[in-house]
Amino acid sequence: MAHPSQLGFQDAASPVMEELLHFHDHALMIVFLISTFVLYIIVAMVTTKLTNKFILDSQEIEIIWTLLPAIILVLIALPSLRILYLMDEINDPHLTIKAMGHQWYWSYEYTDYEDLAFDSYMIPTQDLAPGQFRLLEADHRMVVPAESPIRVLISAEDVLHSWAVPSLGVKMDAVPGRLNQTAFIASRPGIFYGQCSEICGANHSFMPIVVEAVPLEHFENWSSLMLEDA
Amino acid sequence: MSLPKPMMRGLLAKRLRFHLPIAFTLALTAAIAFKYTVTEPKKQAYADFYKQYDAIKDFNAMREAGVFESVQPTGK
Repeated sequence: MAHPSQLGFQDAASPVMEELLHFHDHALMIVFLISTFVLYIIVAMVTTKLTNKFILDSQEIEIIWTLLPAIILVLIALPSLRILYLMDEINDPHLTIKAMGHQWYWSYEYTDYEDLAFDSYMIPTQDLAPGQFRLLEADHRMVVPAESPIRVLISAEDVLHSWAVPSLGVKMDAVPGRLNQTAFIASRPGIFYGQCSEICGANHSFMPIVVEAVPLEHFENWSSLMLEDA
Repeated sequence: MSLPKPMMRGLLAKRLRFHLPIAFTLALTAAIAFKYTVTEPKKQAYADFYKQYDAIKDFNAMREAGVFESVQPTGK
């Protein structure tokens, strides 16, 4: 989850998010390169009264300031496209979960083997236990097996929502009448928080997503228990 | 007796010839500094974390701390 005064991304909990983190560092490095250059030139130009009123053109500088940006753009595009195709790979998921957005909660359906479905409402602030996170906790978490590829099919029952978990590098719009697919692998067991990321009404900020990644045997025990309780 | 004629033209170009290489060098230095103080250490930190990572041990520690909903602490 995010922490106070955080500047960067949350720690990556999936391989895709790690790639995105490193790509962001690469792009930011290029941003610093260009910004430093431009700032220096601006300062050099505003601190002089020298002018040249007679420049008409210069083929050399035109070529330089066309080629250099083109090269920089290629240096950004190549890793970007690599990650884009990496995210799109057919990944043979071990489990498929449907996440449906409602006003103002998420519902999860695990229908691969049996029919397991439940709603996930935010825990109101006054009902939080000590140590729980305000506006982030949900009464029923989406439990998944760790280190397994998971496919999530996302849709909505009323208005637009968006299912997002930053530490897993996942965000996908929940559109009524449409089924969107995304996938992730939780690299390690843990609890990963997200929030609805498409304005959906009064309680848009109060429908969080909580993904709980546990080893496979514990996931199987949990799903058996949930089916018994249903 | 007579002073040498001062340089009267190309003063801005001369300033640019002086400052542009410095600007390029400074920009490259900033980029390289960022790469070796942020980018590479972060990659290394992730690699080092997962090299020694024991998922079961980490899971058990979190389980005993009682943070999971799907799994209760064993009380050990």
